[in-house]
Amino acid sequence: MTAYLIRRILALVPVLAVVVSVTFLLIHLIPGDPVSVMLGPDATPAQIQAARHALGLDRPLPEQLLKFYARVLRGDLGRSYFLDRPVTQALLERAEPTLVLTLSALLVAIVIGVPSGIVAAAQPGSLWDRTLMLAALLGVCVPGFWLSLNFIYLFAVRLGWLPAAGYASIFVDPVAALRYMVLPAVSLGFSQSALIARISRSCMLEALQQDYIRTARAKGLSHATVTWVHAFRNALVPVVTVIGITMAILIGGAVVTEIVFNIPGLGRLIISAVLRRDYPVVQGVILATATAYVLINLGVDMLYVFIDPRIRYE
Amino acid sequence: MAPGTFLRGFVALVAILLSASSVAAAETPKRGGVLRVGNLGEPPALDAHWTTASITETLTNHVYEGLYSLDASNRPTPMLAESHTVSKDGLTYTFKLRQGIKFHNGKEMTSEDVVPSLARWGKQSIYGKALFAQVADWRAVDTYTVEMKLKEKSAIVLISLAVPNNFGAIYPKEIAEKFPPEVKATEWVGTGPFKLAEWKPDQYIRMVRFDEYRSRNEQPNGYGGGKTAWLDEIRWIPVPEVATRVAQVETGELEFADDLNLDAYERLKKNPNARTIISKPYYWLVAVFNKKEGLMTNAKLRQAWQAAIDIEPIMKNVAGGHAEFYRMDSSLAPVEIAAWHTKLAGLPWNEHNREKARRLMKEAGYKSEPIRFMTTQEYKWMYDFALLTKQQLEDVGFTIDLQVVDWATLVKRRNNPKEYDAFTTGIGAAYDPTHHVYLTASWPGWTTDEDIGRLQAGLARETDPKKRMALWEMQTRQFYEKVPVIRYGDLFGLRAMRTSMKGFNEKTERIRFYNVWLDK
Repeated sequence: MTAYLIRRILALVPVLAVVVSVTFLLIHLIPGDPVSVMLGPDATPAQIQAARHALGLDRPLPEQLLKFYARVLRGDLGRSYFLDRPVTQALLERAEPTLVLTLSALLVAIVIGVPSGIVAAAQPGSLWDRTLMLAALLGVCVPGFWLSLNFIYLFAVRLGWLPAAGYASIFVDPVAALRYMVLPAVSLGFSQSALIARISRSCMLEALQQDYIRTARAKGLSHATVTWVHAFRNALVPVVTVIGITMAILIGGAVVTEIVFNIPGLGRLIISAVLRRDYPVVQGVILATATAYVLINLGVDMLYVFIDPRIRYE
Repeated sequence: MAPGTFLRGFVALVAILLSASSVAAAETPKRGGVLRVGNLGEPPALDAHWTTASITETLTNHVYEGLYSLDASNRPTPMLAESHTVSKDGLTYTFKLRQGIKFHNGKEMTSEDVVPSLARWGKQSIYGKALFAQVADWRAVDTYTVEMKLKEKSAIVLISLAVPNNFGAIYPKEIAEKFPPEVKATEWVGTGPFKLAEWKPDQYIRMVRFDEYRSRNEQPNGYGGGKTAWLDEIRWIPVPEVATRVAQVETGELEFADDLNLDAYERLKKNPNARTIISKPYYWLVAVFNKKEGLMTNAKLRQAWQAAIDIEPIMKNVAGGHAEFYRMDSSLAPVEIAAWHTKLAGLPWNEHNREKARRLMKEAGYKSEPIRFMTTQEYKWMYDFALLTKQQLEDVGFTIDLQVVDWATLVKRRNNPKEYDAFTTGIGAAYDPTHHVYLTASWPGWTTDEDIGRLQAGLARETDPKKRMALWEMQTRQFYEKVPVIRYGDLFGLRAMRTSMKGFNEKTERIRFYNVWLDK
């Protein structure tokens, strides 16, 4: 198990090296230039040239890439052209809002998704089943920004119950943080709950048709024990996988939600960095996200061992 | 008199007195409060010399001041300068500085700071470079006097020192000398009514009142005159999503928001706590031609484009059908820049004459080769007018290859003559004829026409206002003949503020929050 873990962690290195190189090439190969954006619409080509030189952007691409590798190996992700601070600092500042949003949206998604899947699976074809699955279908189909904007209009503008947008740190002002987080977490969690609900339903259906469930029922176990102890635990592995994937997606930036609700997280950072061609920030965010992605996958794989004792890693 | 009548009269009198006093109370500015402003995004720098970005212009004009500013009619008016004199030959400008002006770091502002600040500005800012190209010597005479010697007579000394964009902000000597012109300054100390307190990218920029600010004694006038910081703090909050900016003004989470979508206009107008403002001037829409390489180097083809388009339906569409948000005008300077607004008859503007267009295309030898027209969806109005232009031009036989890219790509590519034939952008207010960038050879599109160049040079030298206006009218006629770019109509912007915000000057192109106070 330990050896397996070490192997998996070592496998991170080539994955991240590929991510770093591809990101670097992609961002430099797309047209556009940070300096033209920063100097504004009326800047002359001569001014742009001088500023490119000052930032080292006029050096050949291979040279820039090698310098970038050298820095990354030292743990230095470079300095943002636009924000005047090290990329690592910018990442740390944005990590908290994104983590808080991810965890609260995930909570909403699980609380809605898993029970609805199980309830739907308990009586397949019933009115409950059809209503819940229709809601799940809606959750998948409705665009996130549409839902978010309507939530803002209803709960902030019309009813005035919650603020329209913004962010407060839970460590500074927990009450304000909660008020700011409700709408984004619910609108993001709702659409993510759909997939979880559908997977929970199909896995539960499959589990409920197994021989051991029939045996359990024949033994005279209660409906609840059969559902929760015997079926649910066996249905859990794919559900945990989906929850893991959802979490990774959310960490990578609930971009639309962060923009609409004006949450200063990683999703907003990467979008603005791409638009400004702030190369070091784009590379930094993608590197951080890729690392999180791989680690979450690893975490999920480890969880399987606890859920299903038959799974062993050698 | 019946007692009832007396009573009613008394009540009415009290009511009148009360309402009068409440009106008076509403008119008296109150000190204090935090004004929250919804911004489009982050500024690339808070160094006024370094970038022409309009968001930097707006922010830095609260922190820094120049020797001159613009009054309500967009003419130069002194700010940090007390007065100036010009020698008889017109070659020496001597500026007296105001005394006792403090920087935010407590140091007094003197000629020691003014000389290196403007020297730095003269190497980096587009306006500074234009002015300093004419300067032979720039030095301090004594603590409160500076002198500028020119190589030749110049019309642009005061206006260049007064423009608010990419402006000649006065920094302390230490900062002006520490940061080379091409490197953006990352220490921000000025003489303005607000000082920078905190900058958290993507969260907020906090500016707080500078208590030692010494205002000029004149009444507020345009960007210039007296400035009072009534507010304790201005908090600039980047809210990139426009629908969110609108919602936050409606809920009162923001006191002010700029650059709103016109489709929010009706909704905001119905809100009793919000006030909508139509901002003028905003931009005139423009298609800029590549005159260095490719198809559009042919003037006849540019004239054909100009002859073909029907501007009013384009403007109406871009303005979302709201007649309040656009204006049909052929003058290169907008109405609001009264000194340079022209009213010339018989210009070939908005002719929508398809026959003429087809004839010109034939004369140009145009054989339906695709014309690469770059635009972006990041600014919806640019995309809209490009799309409608494409339809209209294809109706007369042009082939338009509309290339939709993001803004960063557009501003990069437009510097490369191999990559495009035309691109969209907007032309904001230029306060002097010499500031119209699309008439210069250095700006993308490269207007190298000799006649236009000669008139621009004449406008830079001529100091007699009447003669300058005559030159400017000649230039306008040249413009419509040579067609370096296509002038569409004027588009206006939408702003909104809470009704609790008072004293805001709705007439200036860019927003200013000195003299603004909160009534709550």
